[in-house]
Formats: sequence, structure tokens, C-alpha cells
Amino acid sequence: MDPEPTNAPQAVIATEGLTKHYGSVQALVDLTLDVNAGEIFGFLGPNGAGKSTMIRTLLGFLHPTRGSATVLGLDVVADSVEIRRRTGYLPGGIALYDSLSGADALEYLAALQDRGAAMREELCERLQMPASVLRRKVRDYSRGMRQKIGVIQALQHDPELAILDEPTEGLDPLMQHAFYALMDDQRAKGRTTFFSSHVLSEVERICDRVAIIRSGHLMTLQNVDDLLARRKRRVELRWRGVAPDLAGVPGLGDVQVDGNRMRATLLGDVSGFVRAIASPSLEDLTIEPARLEEAFLEYYADDEASEEVRG
Amino acid sequence: MNLRLFLQTLRWNRVRLVAVVLASIGWGMLIPVVYVNFAAAFKQLADSGAFPKELMNFGSGSLFTLPGALTLGLQHPLAIAFVGIFAIGSTVGSIAGEREAGTLEVLLARPISRRTLYLTLAAASATLVAIVLLALLGGQVIGMAIQGVTREIDLGLMPLVFVNGLMLWFAFAAFGLAASVSFDRHGPAIGLTMAYLLVNYFLEILGSLWRDVAWSQQYSLFHHFNPGKILTGTADLVDFVVLAVAIVIPVAYALIVFPRRDLAAPA
Repeated sequence: MDPEPTNAPQAVIATEGLTKHYGSVQALVDLTLDVNAGEIFGFLGPNGAGKSTMIRTLLGFLHPTRGSATVLGLDVVADSVEIRRRTGYLPGGIALYDSLSGADALEYLAALQDRGAAMREELCERLQMPASVLRRKVRDYSRGMRQKIGVIQALQHDPELAILDEPTEGLDPLMQHAFYALMDDQRAKGRTTFFSSHVLSEVERICDRVAIIRSGHLMTLQNVDDLLARRKRRVELRWRGVAPDLAGVPGLGDVQVDGNRMRATLLGDVSGFVRAIASPSLEDLTIEPARLEEAFLEYYADDEASEEVRG
Repeated sequence: MNLRLFLQTLRWNRVRLVAVVLASIGWGMLIPVVYVNFAAAFKQLADSGAFPKELMNFGSGSLFTLPGALTLGLQHPLAIAFVGIFAIGSTVGSIAGEREAGTLEVLLARPISRRTLYLTLAAASATLVAIVLLALLGGQVIGMAIQGVTREIDLGLMPLVFVNGLMLWFAFAAFGLAASVSFDRHGPAIGLTMAYLLVNYFLEILGSLWRDVAWSQQYSLFHHFNPGKILTGTADLVDFVVLAVAIVIPVAYALIVFPRRDLAAPA
């Protein structure tokens, strides 16, 4: 089913000052963000940062304390049923009906979705869930198999928007890559994905933009590329004889020289740095790519939550 | 109402429904047998004074007349257990249980409003209770036919007995559903609903055994389910009104509270 291009709003998800309190606990505080049509949007934060609260508010499970939010141009409080008709949702740590077979669970959930299951066959194939596995009861499934059923039920009706809460949790590396490829295809088809995770490498791998949330507050919202461009790379070089002249190389900092070896950080464009060190005496050069993890840790540097971060 | 959800709810209950229906038919058939074979002996025993007459009554029923025996059979703990499996066990587990298991959010991720979910589950509960009641009453009719005592009552009044019973048990089911939408865990919801059932039952039985506190029966929903009165042509409209009120209050509460509740992530 194609999205509705004529009337489709540019912002598939838009929140304005969205706030959610549980008694004295502030789960979300004045959260304002937009998710654009056709993008994969990463929603990053450690456990307890407010990611699931945000998702549950978007789907109408929770009622905002203040502020407003729309999904697909519809109000999350007044139009929650219509939002869920056009959305696919994978809850974090999904629970399924244990007494049903995988196939029956998918069929049941598709019937309740009322939009068919046009993508089920393809998804089962790509996530390696053959008919022989789908015939088994859900209670006999491993965690990874349950997660795959969770991903399939969220996407089988080809929703305009997929909201996925930690979708690769429990998937083995092979299936993680199959999932990433699936996300790339969804983007190519113009579908929008709102993707909550604390696995930075996958956010870096598949997301266009990323929001980082901490204790319910939005810390930053940027393109992943922009975020990475502003991260410092680690550089290390080794030479013979005369040390290269690095004075005036823009962005170079934290320089540590140890004999004929130098370690430093580099912010911004690498070409000026490479030109400056170009010399016959250069023996070895290592430039580590900037990682989202660095950006994430910067926002969580004084927070124990950074321990939750996985690369 | 969501038909797919309704049918699936019935399907999930089908195995125990078959077992309970068979047991209910058997129990229903047994009551006329007891009446035909032991009523005179019980009456003699009661008249002799050797045995307190009150103990021959049980709730609103008695063993001395066929309508009384049928009432006793429907208010017996065994009959309550049969109907209660669905009126209470299934209803309480339907939302609080799914919430505790984590499956409620998968269900509510579909385009189903909470009011639709509630009304569908209520309709499924009413259907299950109706099937078990029909089995109990059907068993009683079969038993009466076998014993040849069908002429002692007006069988045309049995549908009214069914409606009266359905109202009683749907009142408990509605309370169970209201408890189910109010709690995140199954335990408190089933505890509260069982307490409600037991208090009602206690008031009815206490009043029937101890005449000084007979007034307590008026406060029991069981007292307003009285097949004996219906079958003897003395049905009281007040009984139906009381049961209707006992249905409307928890249904209205659930329809107001459930859509407004925050459903935080399962623990």
C-alpha cells in the first residue's frame, strides 16, 4: 500500500512542548521535535531516559501532561485509533500470545490491523522465518525468534510509519544486518521509521537523523552526518627522522608526542591535516572514524547512564 | 465491537468451555433426581424437628419443591464455580492479565479503541456465561424430563429464569471487567472481584440460615436471582432492576476510566 503523497504532511511526527509526568517523576519535559516523511529517525537514550514514554504517548497509551503531538497529521489524543491503523509498532521486549503458533499470531494481529499483510511473506523470507518455524507455538520460540515475529507483525501491513522500540534486541548479527537492509529498503520506498535504541552502532549505520534524550529532556537533534562531522577523530602517526611540522593545522588538539610517535585529536576536515603531514619521513598513519558513541558520551559524560551505552 | 477479537476470545476459551458445559449439564440433570428421590425424606426429617428446617434451605432455594430445588441447584457452590470460571476468571484476566503478560500493548497497537476492546470483551464474557447457564438450565430440563416432573413447573417461564441468571452473572462479570481495567496486575483484580462475590454469597447464605439476619439477603445480588419465584409466577420486577443497576454501574465506570488510564510499559 502506497503512502498518501498528495495530502501527506511533511512532518510525520511532530511534538510541541510534549511533557509527561508520573506524579513527581518527569518522564518527558518540553519535548519538541519533527520526524520527516521518508526518513529513519533514531531516538537515542539510555534505559529510563524517556524513549518508551515518548513512543507510548505517540500511540495513545499514555496521555500527555502538557504539550501536543501529531502523528501522520493526526492528534495523538483525539485520533489515536486512526494513527494506529496507519502505523506499525514493535514494543520493547515484545510479548506474544504463547498459545498461538507464529503463523496464527501474525494472522490474528493482521486481521485486527484491518489492512492485510502484503509484506508478510517477504519479511518472513528476509528474516528467515520459514513455514516450518511459523507452525511452532510461540512459547517454543527463542528470544530472537520472538523478536523477528515482533518485527514482522509491525511491518507486515506495510505501514506508512513504523515505530520500533529497540528492534534488534535479541537478534543475532546476521539477522541484525538483514534488518538493517530492510530498513534501507523501507527508506527507499518512502516509508518513515521512528527507531528507538541505545545501540549506537546501528543508529549510526541506518539513521538519517538522531535525537538524544536524557532524563526526559531533548539534548540534541541533528543529522547523523552533521553530528559525526563535529566529532573529533583520533589520529596517530609515526615517522623516521625529522618530525613533521604540525603547527597551524586546523582542528588538531590534545597532542601527545612520544619519541617518533604522536597521538592527537582532529576536529573537522582531514585534508588540511593530511597535506601538513605529507612527508617522505612519514612511516605510518591511523585516522579513526568519528563515532556516534563519542557524541553520545559527551551528552552523558556526567551521567551514570553512559555505562548503558554499547558500541 | 470487534468481531475478530470477539471470536478469538471465544476460541481461547473453547476447551474449558466444552468441559464446563458438560459438567454443567451433568449437574443440572442431577438436581431433579435429588428432588424426586429425596424431597419427601428431607421434608419428613424437617417436620420431625430432628433437623433444623433452615438447614434444608440454601440461599433462596429449598429441597421441598421443584422450583426450590432448581434454585438451590443454581445457587450451589458447584454451579457458582462453573459459571464463575467465565464470569470472573476470564473477565478479570482479560485486561489486567494481558497487561501483566505484556500482550495488551500488542493488541492495543491495532486500530481498536479501548471502549471497543472493553465492549468486545464484555460481549464475549456475556456469551460464555450465557452458554454455561443454558447448559445448567438445559441439564435441569433434561433431568426433569427423565424424572417425569416437567408438569410441576411452567417450562415457558424458563427463558425468564435464564435472563435473571444472565443478569446476575453479568453483574459479576461487569465488576470483574471493571477491576480488570483498574489494575496493572492480575492479582489485585481477581482478589477484589472474588471478595465482591464472596461477600454477596455470604450475605445470602447467612440470611437464609439465620432468620434474625434475614435482612442481609436483600443486600446480596444472589438474592435477586430467584428461579423459584419466577417458576411459581411470583417474579418481582425489583430483582431485575437491582441486577440491572449492578450491571450499569461497573460498565459505566469501566467505559469512563479505561480510556483515560495511562498504560505505562509493562514491568
